[in-house]
Amino acid sequence: MSEGMTRVIRVTIVLVVAALVPSLFVLMAGHNPWRVLETLLLYALGPQGWSEVLVHAIPLTLIGLGVAFALRGGLFNIGSDGQLIAGAVLAVFFAPYLEGWGIAGLLVFLILGSLGGAALGALVGYLRAWFGASEIIVTIMLNYVMVQMISYLIRGPMQETSRFWPQSYLIPENCFLPVIVQGTRLHAGLFVALIMVIVFAVIQRRTVIGFVSSVLGANPGAAVYAGFRVKMLTVIVMAISGGLAGLAGAVEVGGIYQRLQDNMAEGFGLAGIAIALIARLEAVAIPLAACLFGIFFAGTGALQRELALPFPLVWIIESAVIFAVAAVQWALPNRKAVA
Amino acid sequence: MTPLLEARGLNKCFGQLRANDDVSFSIFPGEIVGVVGENGAGKSTLVKMLGGALVPDSGEILISGSPVILHSPADAQRAGISLVHQHFNLIENLTVEENLVLGRPELRHGIIRFKNLRPGFLTVAEDLGTHIAFDARVSTLSVGGRQQVELIRALFHDPRLLILDEPTAVLPPNERDRLLRFIRLLKERGTAIILISHKLDDLYDCCDRAVVMRGGRVVGTSDLRADERAELIRLIVGAELPPPDTRHGTLGKALVSVKDLVVHRDNGTVAVDRASFELHAGEIVGLCGVEGNGQTELLQAMAGMRPVQTGEIIYAVGAQRMANADAASLRRVGVAHIPEDRLHYAVVAAFSLTLNFLLRKLSKPRFVTWGLLRRQAATKATATAIKHNDVRASGPRARMADLSGGNQQKFVIARELGDDVGVILAGHPTRGLDIRTVVAIRNRLVAERARGVAILLLSADLSEVWDIADRIMVMARGRLRGPVRVGETTLGEIGHWMTTP
Repeated sequence: MSEGMTRVIRVTIVLVVAALVPSLFVLMAGHNPWRVLETLLLYALGPQGWSEVLVHAIPLTLIGLGVAFALRGGLFNIGSDGQLIAGAVLAVFFAPYLEGWGIAGLLVFLILGSLGGAALGALVGYLRAWFGASEIIVTIMLNYVMVQMISYLIRGPMQETSRFWPQSYLIPENCFLPVIVQGTRLHAGLFVALIMVIVFAVIQRRTVIGFVSSVLGANPGAAVYAGFRVKMLTVIVMAISGGLAGLAGAVEVGGIYQRLQDNMAEGFGLAGIAIALIARLEAVAIPLAACLFGIFFAGTGALQRELALPFPLVWIIESAVIFAVAAVQWALPNRKAVA
Repeated sequence: MTPLLEARGLNKCFGQLRANDDVSFSIFPGEIVGVVGENGAGKSTLVKMLGGALVPDSGEILISGSPVILHSPADAQRAGISLVHQHFNLIENLTVEENLVLGRPELRHGIIRFKNLRPGFLTVAEDLGTHIAFDARVSTLSVGGRQQVELIRALFHDPRLLILDEPTAVLPPNERDRLLRFIRLLKERGTAIILISHKLDDLYDCCDRAVVMRGGRVVGTSDLRADERAELIRLIVGAELPPPDTRHGTLGKALVSVKDLVVHRDNGTVAVDRASFELHAGEIVGLCGVEGNGQTELLQAMAGMRPVQTGEIIYAVGAQRMANADAASLRRVGVAHIPEDRLHYAVVAAFSLTLNFLLRKLSKPRFVTWGLLRRQAATKATATAIKHNDVRASGPRARMADLSGGNQQKFVIARELGDDVGVILAGHPTRGLDIRTVVAIRNRLVAERARGVAILLLSADLSEVWDIADRIMVMARGRLRGPVRVGETTLGEIGHWMTTP
């Protein structure tokens, strides 16, 4: 049997299994799989849904880029959730001082977000490089710390002036990311995400820092041999990765919430890892993968509303899709050189 | 008499490459047959087909006269064929015994009775004349020790045919002799052995005949008569070898001074114990020793890759004078380093040749401006480098992993050596390479010496050190002996130094 045939058969098997497994669960729950798929896609591509898919894809793209950058450097950043909060908090903390700065205020607001996430990322990199701490465990722990911290801040020092709701004061209006399509929530954060995709691609392909960090990820021994300062590099890679998550935090605040509150961007960090992996750490594929996850994030509500489909079932479908994409990649071997 | 194994008209293609083209081969019980050829001649493909690791596109394999189809190494094992690969398949974190049990049928039933297996392992180990600790983790073993584990695993099945792929490439001289003695013992017991080697001495020391491969074909056989050695080389290379370069350098000032140097291993034990020596312009100093005695760490410390505990390494290259400098600064002032472990340090296998070229060139404004890579300039320079140094690759965009070991090594040397180089630290630069490449690399080092470069040559190949080094020093258990002039010592004395610290 030729290799091409083997591949076709593999992919077919993968796709059939990927369709069957979630269908089975949906059937067991007493629903029609076709109806589920139809509802999900009709909503996602429909007049209300498409913009919501993109609204979710914006932070997911930024987080996916951050995770991908760390992974290319051989580091596993599970802490995007925490870094997102750090970015949002730092940006909102200084936002009142930006009032009256116009568009420059928005720019500073976004930069502050990146710095917040980058600081938290750099801390992880430092602990890993100088003390040998596992970045996986540190980032997971810091996620809890940050969730508790924001919870404290919006009930204490940063709470809105009426002191009634658990949320912060509003940021000044010049720090809002304007809505770009009337009647939807789709905001200018879309451009921020797309610009970062391009910046990411350029960093990876054209810059010393992109090259050096991917050497560190591909062969740490070669990084030592080449004379790179591996410890410092670890800090920088984690800072850039965290900075992208922090930027996502500022974008979410500026575009959607306009203030801090609980449960911002829940589950985005884990989705970001899946996005980075199924996009194979390639910049241009990350927004596409983010849109796929945007369909799930946005469509979950529709499935619940229209079919009364329970939440966990949606997650099962979501994980089946992740498996399918990963398995198709396994079935289609790719031996392209990193050129 | 029917051959134990006969291969008829084997063909194997990888894409466009004809790795084996109509190869026929036979071996009788109790015979030792050497298979020689340059890198990429098709030796490994042939033995992988015989060992069941590859299935031929066409042709047939007969065992004791009856045709067999070997779909897997397990098939081959059942047919009485065991293959020991050049690169060991051992799991570092498991013990010797656990590694031996891996892949054995006993494992498949869920419960392992180590007690029942151990006597079998012990018998084989005794035959081998080794006292290996079955409870030791593989990570603590020397290269020779690891090879013995592989051998025990291969011999446990009591094979009728044992295939050894480059078994001597990584062994120090005393362990090599022990291995060859053992191979002759197996022969007396009627086992047939196929020995792949680049070293003609291995063939002359223990083989009955040699089969020569070139470009995927069998181009001839040799009875290994001592007076036909030159013809054998011609058969292997397909042409005359370039003559060895015998120019000497004129001894200049000391470019490197090492004083009371102490270096630790990763686990904190002392690897280099108060070493002192000088390396002068225009000389090659050979550094010998049994693997694991601190030479590796000494070289890494000199290359700025491993911290200096106490003592000094002073480089005085050009106008610069620097002590205990880091790897990047050393490269900038012209210290070239050919690491002994290519895939762990010298190259990134998954990257293109261009990116591998850039790996050590990031301080050159030609290739980097304002933190941006100048990829076109790098691609062009890479293309020139691979052309001038006879690196066989499809081009600068080829993936490093797709190059043969010899071509990877030539690439590393092409990248490291240039006009700006004043000192060369070379770790086993010719290990595992074919004759032609070995001569090319040695000639290159000799030419650099003639240019006034100071060269430290870490080598396990004493004859190589004798051929091209001016002085020689030995490390044993971290202590340095020498350097002495090569003419003022003997192989016996050096061998003695290697084993007695």
